Amino acid sequence: MGSRGGEGVTSGGFWAMGGYARYVWPCFALAISILAWNLWSARRYHEQALLRAERALIMAGSERA
Amino acid sequence: MWTWFYRLASPPFVYRVAARLTPWLLLFAAAMIVYGLIAGLVFAPPDYQQGDAFRIIYVHAPSAWLSLFAYMTMAVAGGIALIWRIKMGYAVAAAAAPIGASFTILALVTGSLWGKPMWGTYWAWDPRLTSELILLFLYFGVMSLRAAFEDAGRGDRAAALLALVGVVNVPIIHFSVQWWNSLHQGATVAKFAKPDMPGSMLWPLLAMLCGFMLFFGAVLCMRLRGEVLNRERLASWVRGAVKA
Repeated sequence: MGSRGGEGVTSGGFWAMGGYARYVWPCFALAISILAWNLWSARRYHEQALLRAERALIMAGSERA
Repeated sequence: MWTWFYRLASPPFVYRVAARLTPWLLLFAAAMIVYGLIAGLVFAPPDYQQGDAFRIIYVHAPSAWLSLFAYMTMAVAGGIALIWRIKMGYAVAAAAAPIGASFTILALVTGSLWGKPMWGTYWAWDPRLTSELILLFLYFGVMSLRAAFEDAGRGDRAAALLALVGVVNVPIIHFSVQWWNSLHQGATVAKFAKPDMPGSMLWPLLAMLCGFMLFFGAVLCMRLRGEVLNRERLASWVRGAVKA
C-alpha cells in the first residue's frame, strides 16, 4: 500500500491531488464519459439495427402478400 | 480448429456468440476498471518527480494502447475480408472504427492535460503526439470513406484498403520515442522483465489495461451485432433474432 493509503478519500488532500486536481480530475471525468458514450452508442446502434431489420421484414412480408 | 474459424464467417453464429460474450466481458471489464481506479487513485503512492499528476497514466496509457489495438483489429479484420472475402471481416472493421477513434481522442486529450504541468504546454509537434493525431485522422478517414460510397460493398473494400495502408503508422507511433528526440517518456511497462514502476503503481495500470481491453471486446460485440443485422436485414435467420 502506498503513502496515499492512510489519507482517505474524504480528506481535502485527496481531491486536491497535490495541486494537480485541475489536470487529473478532468482526465478521469473524460475517461468515464467516453466509456459511457461507447456503451450508450453501441446499445443504440444495435437497437436501431433491430428496428430497421424488423421494418425490412414487415415490408418484405407485405410485398410477398 | 479450422471449422471453428470458418464458423466465424457465419453471421448468425457471430450474432449469437457476440450476444453471449457481451455481459461477461462487461462484468470483468467493470471489475478490472473499478479495481484499477481505486488502486490507482487511492492506494498508489505519488510519483517522486511528477507527484499526483502521474495518476493520469491510469487512463492515458490504457486509452493509447487501446487506440493502437483497435486500429490493428480494424486493419486485420479488413485484411481478412479483402483476402478471403469473408464479409464478417468488414463488419468487425466497421464496428471497431468508432470505438478506436473515441479512445484515440481520450489518449490525445489526457496526454495534453498531462503535458501542461509536466512539459509546460498542452501540445507540441512531437513525433509521438503527431503520429497519434495522424491515427485519429486515419480513423476519421476510414469511417468517412466507408460512408461515402452508395454501394456498401465498395465502401467496405475502400475503407479496408485505407486501414491496411494506415498500419504503417502503428510502428511509427510505438517506436517514435526511440527513433526521434521526443518530449514523451519512453516505455515503462512494455519492459516486462524489468518495468520502471513499482508494483503498487504497476498493478492498477495493468488492471486498467485489461479492463479497457475487455470493455473494447464488449462494445465491439454490441456494435458488431448491429452491423450484422444491418448487413443481413433480409436473411431468414434475422426473423428469429428480431423476435427474440
